[in-house]
Amino acid sequence: MTLPSRVYRDLEDIVGPENISDDPAVLDSYRYSLAHTAIHLGPYYDTFTPRGAAVLLPGTTQEVQAIVQLCNQHRIKFKASSTFWSAQGYPSEDDTLQLDMRRMDRILEIDEKNMFAVVEPGVIGATLQAEAMKVGLNAHLPGSGCSCSILATATSYFGSGPSNLYGGWQYDNLLGMEWVLPTGDLFRTGSLGSNCGWFCGEGPGPSMKGAARGFLGAKGAMGVHTKCAVKLFAWPGPQTLPVEGIVPAYRTPLPRNFRAYTVAFPTWKAWADAAYLIWETGIGYLAHRQYVMFGRDLKFAMVKILTDPTKTLGDLEEILEDPQVQRVTEESKRDFQIVLAGMTPRDIEWQEAAFDQILARTGGWKVEAMNEPEINQWMLLYLIRLGHKNLNLVFGGSYDGAFGLVGVPDYGTSHAEEAAEFKKTWEQRGAVVQAGGDCMMGPIGGMGGGGTCLWENFTCFDPHDRESTDGTREFFDACTQLGLERGWGVGMEKWNAQARGPDGRTTPKTERDRIHLSSPQPAAFRYQHKIREALNPNNLGDAYYETLED
Amino acid sequence: MALEDFAAEMDRCSQCSYCKWIPFDQVKSWRFAKNCPSVSYFNFNSYSARGRYAVARSLLRGESECSETVRKIAFTCMTCGSCDVSCKICRYNLEPLGMVRELKFKLVEDGHGLEAHRALVAALHSEQEPSDRPRRSRGDWADGLDVLRPPTEKAEVLFHAGCRASFNKDAQPTARAAVQLLRKAGVEVGILGDEESCCGGRLYSMGFRDEFLRLARSNMAAWAEAGVKTVITSCADGYHAFKHLYPPLGSQVEVLHTVEVLDRLIREGGLTLRSAVPMTVTYHDPCHLGRQGEPYVPWKGVEKKIKGQIVVYEPKRPRHNGAWGVYDSPRNVLRSIPGLELVEMERTREYSWCCGAGGGVREAYPEFSEWTASERIAEAKACGAQALVSACPWCERNFRDALAARGEGMQIFDIVDLVAKAI
Repeated sequence: MTLPSRVYRDLEDIVGPENISDDPAVLDSYRYSLAHTAIHLGPYYDTFTPRGAAVLLPGTTQEVQAIVQLCNQHRIKFKASSTFWSAQGYPSEDDTLQLDMRRMDRILEIDEKNMFAVVEPGVIGATLQAEAMKVGLNAHLPGSGCSCSILATATSYFGSGPSNLYGGWQYDNLLGMEWVLPTGDLFRTGSLGSNCGWFCGEGPGPSMKGAARGFLGAKGAMGVHTKCAVKLFAWPGPQTLPVEGIVPAYRTPLPRNFRAYTVAFPTWKAWADAAYLIWETGIGYLAHRQYVMFGRDLKFAMVKILTDPTKTLGDLEEILEDPQVQRVTEESKRDFQIVLAGMTPRDIEWQEAAFDQILARTGGWKVEAMNEPEINQWMLLYLIRLGHKNLNLVFGGSYDGAFGLVGVPDYGTSHAEEAAEFKKTWEQRGAVVQAGGDCMMGPIGGMGGGGTCLWENFTCFDPHDRESTDGTREFFDACTQLGLERGWGVGMEKWNAQARGPDGRTTPKTERDRIHLSSPQPAAFRYQHKIREALNPNNLGDAYYETLED
Repeated sequence: MALEDFAAEMDRCSQCSYCKWIPFDQVKSWRFAKNCPSVSYFNFNSYSARGRYAVARSLLRGESECSETVRKIAFTCMTCGSCDVSCKICRYNLEPLGMVRELKFKLVEDGHGLEAHRALVAALHSEQEPSDRPRRSRGDWADGLDVLRPPTEKAEVLFHAGCRASFNKDAQPTARAAVQLLRKAGVEVGILGDEESCCGGRLYSMGFRDEFLRLARSNMAAWAEAGVKTVITSCADGYHAFKHLYPPLGSQVEVLHTVEVLDRLIREGGLTLRSAVPMTVTYHDPCHLGRQGEPYVPWKGVEKKIKGQIVVYEPKRPRHNGAWGVYDSPRNVLRSIPGLELVEMERTREYSWCCGAGGGVREAYPEFSEWTASERIAEAKACGAQALVSACPWCERNFRDALAARGEGMQIFDIVDLVAKAI
């Protein structure tokens, strides 16, 4: 669609001519390839999200309000995104205005005493963390990595990551919020709504966190979140990370009050027992089953490549032939990575002793070769900053998660091996990377429920290769089928299927209704429908805010 | 290569936006975390490497046309290569810098080049140089210096002054100082004078591949006639052109930047720095000496897949990600100057912020170029430096011009100038 010139001019008046474009090439740089990774519904070869009607770069809340009010006046859909991770940030319907929130990128406040930060949408994890560390604090970073918007992960998704153990899931960390409602009205939630500051998400003031976020986060479908406060956490490390090494094998020396380990276990039960004990004991700062995202068979070889700046993927096959690599790979089948951080020397001593006891009780061990200083220092930096998160995409450019088992440790571990074996058989068909089946990556010990884990079986493929994308989609369909048969439910490979169809556009309503009606609690989506009717009467968002009519 | 050869990369770009930031492990503050001048200034995705991949794909598929906006998107890239370093933190099978160069080549070949750039090329054809001065005066800067003058004399070691030093009086004292330092250390050098051609590097980065080839062949022929085995230059652009762009054309001469030679001479005792230069300085890594100053490694091969879908190359493809650029030599030289304190900016070495002079941006988008330089100056001031030191006359001019335009003050030096003070 070409916007009517009058509307374009009105929008131009709001943001300035340098901050709006409807040039087709610019619009095409705001389309997402569903052959790449759609998190999580595809992939679909050579399919893109729809081309927007225009892209705008608002610079203030007032500009956002004016844009949204104009959209209401002309019934134009809009979609805001901050850092554009995955298809969710892009329009799923034709003739949508894309709001790129990049210009609103200020850290407005770091309240050291009350341990929170106030940020605009464009603030990414890396910059907030760097600034927080200067005052002895740290930000919880989402698993999507430090390139992603902190506001988006708090308001619009669930924000799981390695620091779940210490910092919770990011939706827990959302405090006061400034929200341009889909009508253009400005709404302030939590304590902010009572002019009491940003410190609380619930009150004194309107407790609208649940309504604003909706199921799994609003994903840019219900107005525009223009500012929010998030909790920060104690950081007992240096004010600036001292980085050594040659690109890309950067590493940071372990502070004396830090320990970093890769550990492994003889059985999945022992693995789960250790996860419970870590949770119950209250130790640990970061914990993730991280390296396995490369695959059980490839992870140590990949770590060898990534910690040596002279190596490339072209060295992989040769490294895999190394008997030492094969031995370590076998030794570390059921592993995870953990960072302990002591607030005092006594604290780290106690944590280390407790961790050793946990290993002794569960039969676990520290994987010696993975705990060599160069690897350990690389891992420490990796987990703290999450600045290499896009190694997800290292092999061919695309990945997506299959299964996505979320629950207490026993739940995932009960099914991990079966899911891994299932994937391994599919890997042999050639469409996805042959990684050893088990690529079940995720956090250890999120808050609530005794320490939840998330098991996402990374599936890597080549978006430029039709056989690869088609084969991956067949595999995902098979995963869904297996998940339903085994009672695990629909996996994360289809999590967004109700919102976005294979053509990159919104799934037809009849299909969405069918999916929502078959969910465990359809009432949740009926409730969200009422909210949308009240707050978004012209329905100018998209189906990522999931609704079900009575 | 052709733009079509990057079609697979256009699909394989993960759209992750790492190309917009310095390597995240190195982020020390909110203020100095960005890496790409063009997306930092213009803000649309299109002005980043990921956006340029998308724009190029759109053009190749015929889904958009070469509008004025598309030209701006392509030609506001300074080809500084910062995106390339950040992309390759996680990727081994993308070459975003190579892709944007091809995009520029294609636009120029299709007649969509910029008028400001075409004027430079026209000047070269009419025996003028980019600075609009007659070529016959190219060697005047060295009048009175004890240098060999090929082709009448053979010169195994050649000092290539480059366009800036040849034609701009403000840069000539540095070139003269460089030659004098080399002579003092007993290095016999020659200059080509009016037989020297522009290195072509800047034209290459503007998209004029054929013009670059013409100039490169001219220089290589002159070197061969003069018996040149080693070329020394004080210009980062020239260094990159000779080190990286000439070898695929058959050049086999050793290429050294002045800072490498000075570093070696100081370490080996050929030069002794005795006079104190009491000053706190910071060093700006020129893009073409730092991250793009890596040795050239020839490669000819094909893509293949292992483990089903892992994209690798047969034979193994060399990796250029800024790891092996020239970073230590200039710092060694600065640290050897008595009384001088070297402090680092937040963005340094392979993730340095560009000076803003590259890729033809200075010529076509002066306001943006000036802003880019001013960002670097702000960073230099923030680290407590009294002076900003570099090793490229183009960087130094852009910094000086930005300071003048904004009425700001900061001393700008070439390393050679400081060594000359200390000798």
